[in-house]
Amino acid sequence: MRRATVLLARLALAAIFLYAAATKLPDMAAFAKDVANYRLLPGPLVPFAAAVVVGIELVVGLALVTGLWARAAALVASGMLVLFVAGLSQALLRGIDLRCGCFGGDEAADWWTVLRDVAMLVPALVVLFTPVPGPPRDDRELSAHLGRMSTKY
Amino acid sequence: MTGVRLLLHALALCAAGGLLGLAGNSVTPKPAPFGEPVTSTAEAPGGMCQIQGLQAAIPRISVEEATPLCVACSALFVDARTAAEYEAGHITGAIHIAPGDPVDPVLWRLGVYKTVVVYDRDPNCSLADQVAKTLLQHGVQDARVLTGAWPAWTAAGAPGASGTCGLCGTPPAKGSP
Repeated sequence: MRRATVLLARLALAAIFLYAAATKLPDMAAFAKDVANYRLLPGPLVPFAAAVVVGIELVVGLALVTGLWARAAALVASGMLVLFVAGLSQALLRGIDLRCGCFGGDEAADWWTVLRDVAMLVPALVVLFTPVPGPPRDDRELSAHLGRMSTKY
Repeated sequence: MTGVRLLLHALALCAAGGLLGLAGNSVTPKPAPFGEPVTSTAEAPGGMCQIQGLQAAIPRISVEEATPLCVACSALFVDARTAAEYEAGHITGAIHIAPGDPVDPVLWRLGVYKTVVVYDRDPNCSLADQVAKTLLQHGVQDARVLTGAWPAWTAAGAPGASGTCGLCGTPPAKGSP
């Protein structure tokens, strides 16, 4: 059950991050403009930040899909989501009208967008904090594992 | 996985993602322009207070639309900047209400006009938005924020005046003109 929950959370988070990266890739210039509209970074840094964010979303999504370094990917995803929540909140509190830039397109940023990002933290934290036993690594572990299995069934 | 290893893996993912993003940007159809500063829409020339394609929370009005209303005195203009900025120069006939100022003393005047146009000098129009929001909460039916703010108004050569706010006082006594 626990393994299934983590798998579901991992794949859901992977789908979100891969989709987010895929929607931004065709028009990175527009995403850079969206980043600039948050008014957090100096202009010369904005295009680099935009490219780095999309690259990390892509790598995190791939890591979560494959399961390679999944907990580390969930940690990065959590950090990114916290940053997104902070960025959105400061913009809204400062009265800045902006597109959120979350999944490309013209979606306006509002408090629902913030809430959605907070909700996305749930699967990230599930993957990060729910330990899932891996496959046996050597003969001793394998024997113990088989022993547990025979007792169980 | 120990905490340190987890952190190292996370840093490695960030580094790999960062490099992938920087390298991948050049092969995308519309890359982010490395080497060129990207400024916000609000900071772009003529783009103050206006994000293209996005409906603002408080309705906007352009300088072109607002100028005839000022000339015909069919709208009341509200300056949301500081008192010193107001005294140095403001839209002709505008009254001064900064964010946090009480609006009750001037509500009687606001009620006379069908439209109230609020402006400031802030690139995000956040001061004007705050004042406009307060006015709407106090029953003003049609409060709008001036796109381009004071800089766009002066750049367009629209009517301006200077001095303290003589219109910001209490209502005239009954019987007076």
